[in-house]
Amino acid sequence: MPLRSTEHGWGALVRAFHWLVAALIVAQGVIGLSMVQMDLTPAKVRVFALHKSIGMTILALVLLRIAWRLTERRPADPPAMPHWQRQAAHALHLALYVLILALPLSGWWFNSAANAPLVWFGWLDLPSLTGGLDPVWKPRALLLHQTLFWVLAALLVGHVGAALWHHFGQRDDVLRRMAVGSGKPNREVRP
Amino acid sequence: MKRSIWLCTALLLGCAAPALAQTWQVDAAHSTLGFTNTYQNVEYTGQFHRFDAKIVYDPNDLAQAKFDVSVDIASLDTRNSERDHTALDADFFDASKFPRAHFATTDFRKAVDGTVVADGELTLRGVAKPVALAVTFTPHGDTATLDVTAQVNRLDFGIGAGQWADPSMIGNGVTVHGHLLLRKADP
Repeated sequence: MPLRSTEHGWGALVRAFHWLVAALIVAQGVIGLSMVQMDLTPAKVRVFALHKSIGMTILALVLLRIAWRLTERRPADPPAMPHWQRQAAHALHLALYVLILALPLSGWWFNSAANAPLVWFGWLDLPSLTGGLDPVWKPRALLLHQTLFWVLAALLVGHVGAALWHHFGQRDDVLRRMAVGSGKPNREVRP
Repeated sequence: MKRSIWLCTALLLGCAAPALAQTWQVDAAHSTLGFTNTYQNVEYTGQFHRFDAKIVYDPNDLAQAKFDVSVDIASLDTRNSERDHTALDADFFDASKFPRAHFATTDFRKAVDGTVVADGELTLRGVAKPVALAVTFTPHGDTATLDVTAQVNRLDFGIGAGQWADPSMIGNGVTVHGHLLLRKADP
């Protein structure tokens, strides 16, 4: 599998970004929904710190991913795909990018407005976005973070559903060309 | 000329006269009692907005000096409402059982470098421990500023003991600093 994407399939780096970020997003959803139910103990504080650290990791990975995507082409859509489906797919992908950027940013904003610490895996102290407590924006940032999560969850249902529909319904290579390991090799391989 | 001679004489007499213990009133609007600690190894600061301080102090008469400070624990503010709420719980300050902290000096002394140190006893969360304050007093006529700094360990007073004792979660060492604007009290 080439590092760069080709006309026929995604490159190794895009696939790695995709599945790594996907796994971290699922972990974030599970951690985020569980941690708010916990009683206040040091364990809860550590789980919150983990949630923040993973969120900042996703933010960094998505920024790198976008930067990389800007340097290369994307594989062509399956020829049989009608125009509206292409438009819908591209709009959904754009919305996903916006959301996976907006979720960590809104979390960072909420954390800043709440004047809570943000130390990436106990190692890198990240600055506040609000310069300390901001009682006016704190509840709004939290509401935004929670709302964006549910919007992302709904879009991911659509994203996964569409991928499975392509694979099992249309029997095209849309899912396979993002797969890791078992995906069929790209037909066009650059030297 | 005559006037200035009288003035000089008066000033000299004033300096030579035995200093009377000076009682000061604290200008609460321009005074702060705060502290610095760490949470998840990140420094944060907090304040107690309400405290009463009785200050008797003359830098030339340390034998008569006396500080007596009472702090309303519930006035704690670390600019984080969740943290402030938790800090008043039984695991930490236990403010419903111990609503006030108290500090009273027992002795003032000059350290070898000339700085003034006030020894005293801090009663916090029902535990009394000796605490030393570094004292910086700067007179400005009828007013003065008094800056005090002390090092205390929260675990000495049982604040956040047990499951919260881990200093990488909440630092044990706390630097307390008071900045008081004093006005001469009417004699």
